[in-house]
Amino acid sequence: MITEQHIPPTRKFGLPNILLILGLSVLLFGEAWYGYHLQALSEQREQIKRDYSTINSITFGLFSVDQWRDKISDIINGQVDDFSVTPEQKAALQKQVELQLNGLINKELADINKPQKSLVGKIKKLAVDKFVDEDQVHAQVPTFAKTIVDKVSSPRGTQRIKNIVSSKVNELAAQTYDSTSSAANAVAAYMYHKYNVADSGQFRKEIHNRLVTIKASSYNDLYLMLGCVLAALLLWLLMRNMAHLHATHFFMSLLFALVLLVVGVTSSIIEVDAQLQSFDFTLVGQNVSFVDQDLFFQSKSIIEIIQKLVREPKPDTIIVGVLMFLFVIILPVVRIIAKGIHIMGNKALAENKAVLYLAFDSAKWDMADVMVVGALMTYIGLNGILRSELSEIEFHTNGLNTTTANFTRLQPGYFIFVAYVVFAIILAAILNRIRPRDARL
Amino acid sequence: MAEERHTRTHSGSTALKLLLILFLGGLLCAEGYFGYRLHLLSDQQKQIKRDYADINDIEYGLFSVENWRDNVTHIVDHQVRNFTMTPEQKKELQLEIQEIIVALANKAEAMINKPQTSAGGKIKQFAAQKFVNIDKIKAQAPDFARTIMAKVDNPANKNKLSNMALTKFGDIQKSGYIDSTIRTSDSISTALFTKYKVSSHEELNNKLMSFLGPIRTDTYNYCIAMLCCVVVVLLSWWVLRKRVDLHTVLFVLSLLFAFILLAVGLTASMIEVDARIQSFDFVLLGEHVVFKNQVLFFQSKSILDVVRVLIKQHAADSIGVGILILVFSILFPIMKLSSTGIHLLSKRRLAENKVIKYFAFQSGKWSMADVIVIAILMTYIGLNGLLEGQLQTMNIPSAGLSIITTNNTALQPGYIIFICFVLYGLILSTILKFITPYDAH
Repeated sequence: MITEQHIPPTRKFGLPNILLILGLSVLLFGEAWYGYHLQALSEQREQIKRDYSTINSITFGLFSVDQWRDKISDIINGQVDDFSVTPEQKAALQKQVELQLNGLINKELADINKPQKSLVGKIKKLAVDKFVDEDQVHAQVPTFAKTIVDKVSSPRGTQRIKNIVSSKVNELAAQTYDSTSSAANAVAAYMYHKYNVADSGQFRKEIHNRLVTIKASSYNDLYLMLGCVLAALLLWLLMRNMAHLHATHFFMSLLFALVLLVVGVTSSIIEVDAQLQSFDFTLVGQNVSFVDQDLFFQSKSIIEIIQKLVREPKPDTIIVGVLMFLFVIILPVVRIIAKGIHIMGNKALAENKAVLYLAFDSAKWDMADVMVVGALMTYIGLNGILRSELSEIEFHTNGLNTTTANFTRLQPGYFIFVAYVVFAIILAAILNRIRPRDARL
Repeated sequence: MAEERHTRTHSGSTALKLLLILFLGGLLCAEGYFGYRLHLLSDQQKQIKRDYADINDIEYGLFSVENWRDNVTHIVDHQVRNFTMTPEQKKELQLEIQEIIVALANKAEAMINKPQTSAGGKIKQFAAQKFVNIDKIKAQAPDFARTIMAKVDNPANKNKLSNMALTKFGDIQKSGYIDSTIRTSDSISTALFTKYKVSSHEELNNKLMSFLGPIRTDTYNYCIAMLCCVVVVLLSWWVLRKRVDLHTVLFVLSLLFAFILLAVGLTASMIEVDARIQSFDFVLLGEHVVFKNQVLFFQSKSILDVVRVLIKQHAADSIGVGILILVFSILFPIMKLSSTGIHLLSKRRLAENKVIKYFAFQSGKWSMADVIVIAILMTYIGLNGLLEGQLQTMNIPSAGLSIITTNNTALQPGYIIFICFVLYGLILSTILKFITPYDAH
């Protein structure tokens, strides 16, 4: 029965066929447009996040000696500026000075009390013996010490000492540097120019805004694309009894699958983003903090993964890349084409052995479905590894506080690819149903 | 006559069978030997790289107290000996001293001029007023101050100070903490030095590197030899494609080859992850400090190791992925190989069992999931030159920056052997489809 109903589309091309083609073309165009848009958005997002990651790289933050130098010399200068002598310090200082003065007096008197030979010395000794009462001199030490301490701790005195210390600190700081700040400045200048912003605050805001819009519209595109595909599938349900339209419909459905495959392969599938959001610790009572340090960022589409593998100089990596290219991209495309030829071509072509093999028996070589599982496993595995690695550098103690964040997410490209695989399975089932019985195994 | 011919062909067939078994048995032994050697080499390479990573670990470089001690000793010495004050600083300090002297003189004057009651006191006061000229002392204050400054600033004093600082530093070194870190790093390096019979760090690195070259070529040679064995097996299928009577023997032998590939593929290390800071280069207080090739992280894992690591994690999703990898890489292949054997050798009922047929014909590609997981992981964490690439596009030199790189991450022979196993298995199931006496669908 079905065999008789199966009419090669080339023979009769009536109005219903044309209508179907028109209707499906609109849907197909919609799917392709949203797919194109989605792919462009995915690239844009990757670009923006990569720029953000570059400018916030740990190389220019936590690993930068220049940054540490600036932070620490700020703290020391702040400490020096805020320095004032407390009463206790003053008392301690006074004690020290007294000790020194008493020592000085003892030494001086001992020198004079030594047997003198010169006349001047003798006279001096006499005078001192006569006039200077040792105890009285010692009794006056505290008053003199107080004068010295008062002088040193007077506002003018401390200011002067502060100036000396901080200029010395600045001098030492100038002798400590690496090459990060010049590179960081160059990167910042480049990025600010690229995004038309003036400073880091604006840059952050701009990036954030763009990412929010991109995310919203790319999910929008994703749903619309899937909507188009779903509409085409629903049409199968409606027209399951109109056998004369099946060939055309199936051919159009293959085009839908092709669009899904192309978009799924070219949009990024997994985005890995590990950040050290804050790194705070207290140094001499002041807070040193580094914020938004990007530890690791990667976002890739399937085709980029393959490109990356193939471009490596090592032969084993190239082999893997080529194999993935063959089994995940080329073979699915060839199989779609073979199915198209089988359904639309003339009898000789449709029953050609190679076409039949590719269309029906090559499923075990077609690894698009394996890719879906593999990518999901990678996502979960990577996520797990990152989470445990990040939790190892997460500290919450009094002295040190770090917060890490793991923004590893599956991207719309992955869902499109999954949609392709599901759609391909449904199409295979449909094809089995509409094929002439004699060709079925 | 017909019977005689039949027996002759029969005996000829038996002889041929024996010959085939002998030939392939020999080849099987060769493959087993190559696999065993490959496994040993892979272990050896892992050990050497492990040692290299240990000796160049960041703990013993950038984070090593010993390394810093040398640098810091230099710096302290240099800083103290070259301690100079700028003219402004000198002027400020001098002014301060001068003011102290003046203040002291004023105080003395006030004390002398205090009305005295006792006769002795009066005489003393008179003598002091007569002989001591306070104004003259005040006028000389700048000179005194200058002399004091010169005393502070002279080289002999600085030398004394520097020695004092260095002894203080030596005292810190002798404290427990620093000693223990130095001891552990020392014990590790001496153990490695005696193991490789070298005397210095650099020598050890050179020696380890020189070991790796030959090991790599050997590994690749054995890898290629194993592949050649498999290719010979496939070629013998082509040669004997018409000899239906030999197919069963040939197929069973082919399965044994597959088992060897699987065993080596699972146990030899398949991926090596290596993250390091290429250089940490900066100027600290005028001294150039460079740390090169600091290994942050090194791991070399076989599939079984990966499974073990994932299953040991606490999070359920990681354990799930570990179990999936276990299923795809161990259970599926073993089931597949045994199912193909069962399908070919056993009775029809068992041979046409759905499960047996699924594993024999369709399951092969799922082992590819592991291959894909490792390939994606490789592109995400392995070939990570993101920041360097970005800087290059902006024309910013990255030479002196401390960038984390993972360029030394590489796929290992275990991976290639595993891929070969998967492909070989897929080809075997295709062959099985042709030679099976039962329905393959």
